[in-house]
Amino acid sequence: MKTAQAGTLESMDCLVTASEVDKGRGISVSMEGASVARFGAAILKSTKETLKEMGVKDLKLSIQDNGATDLVLRARVEAAASRLLEGDGR
Amino acid sequence: MKLRRTKLYLPGNNPNMLLRGHLFRPDGVILDLEDAVSMSEKDAARILVREILKQGEFGECEVTVRINGMDTDMWRRDIETVVPCGIDGIRVPKAESPKDMQILDEALSEIEENSGIPIGKTLVFCLLETALGIWNAYDIATSTPRIAGICPGGEDLRADLKTDRSDSGEELIGPRRIVVLAAHAAKVDALDTVYSNVTDDEGLRRETEWIKQLGFQGKSVIHPNQIPVIHDVFTPTQKEIDQAQKIVAAAKDAARKGLGAVSVDGRMVDKPVVKRAEYTLQRAGLLEGGE
Repeated sequence: MKTAQAGTLESMDCLVTASEVDKGRGISVSMEGASVARFGAAILKSTKETLKEMGVKDLKLSIQDNGATDLVLRARVEAAASRLLEGDGR
Repeated sequence: MKLRRTKLYLPGNNPNMLLRGHLFRPDGVILDLEDAVSMSEKDAARILVREILKQGEFGECEVTVRINGMDTDMWRRDIETVVPCGIDGIRVPKAESPKDMQILDEALSEIEENSGIPIGKTLVFCLLETALGIWNAYDIATSTPRIAGICPGGEDLRADLKTDRSDSGEELIGPRRIVVLAAHAAKVDALDTVYSNVTDDEGLRRETEWIKQLGFQGKSVIHPNQIPVIHDVFTPTQKEIDQAQKIVAAAKDAARKGLGAVSVDGRMVDKPVVKRAEYTLQRAGLLEGGE
């Protein structure tokens, strides 16, 4: 299974791991971090919106949050998904 | 007059610094896609910087992005990503030739046109980090009307000059003087390189006083703690402001009476003295105008 990561575990950042799944499996997101209890729904919404904008339909994402703002989360999700889809992409 | 006393470098893949850098009140921030970002993180930094430019807050800061050098295959992607966000300018590392700046100018114009940004809005600040770049300083500074400032390099320039860092910085005396001369001849800002010892405030103050005396308008910084020291050196004292106001008032009075030179406190005041006094008031934010 192919995976790709973006981000860090430093303050105000998050580490996003994207994993390939079979076509038709849809998007699945798992989250951990101090803010997940309060902002989990918002994180999930932003993550799904970002993937939708990218045209990604099938992907497994794991997010380890350390206080990332919404725009940082979106940037890391896009970077991780791009790396997975485009190979290295750098 | 746009004050460019301090420009704070913010690593392009560090959300904490990118989001908080402006809170330290530098005159400008430089979101860095070049040296502060490892090769393996260039893609993620580009996305992060784009999102922060689109949605982030920068207060009153002039916002610039240091792109990757024109000797790499990354600079076009960098400007295609950040220029549509409506930034104030870009910093170009290792600028060496006026021809490269014209290529950059054309590329910027095309992006501006496609993004609905007025053509020419995105300023260019050139880092002269090689002996050739320093040698071509004036030609680079006048290569396109976008050029707003030129800056000598630090470590890269030392390496190219086949020398190394000394406490006195004497190895960069010549390049700094050339940059000041070229910048003022071209009517752009002369902006100095960083002082890399972030814990040595006294050394920073000494160097800043020296480069101000040479004719620089400001300095890049790599740590927020350096900002107040540099602002203090570049901000005119109340005594200097009082004297400048006296001179400008005397010159206005003389002009009204049709006189040439006048005397203030027993010293002759002629055109260059008035020009200097006006510059002092501009730096203090008390007079509009200037370059």
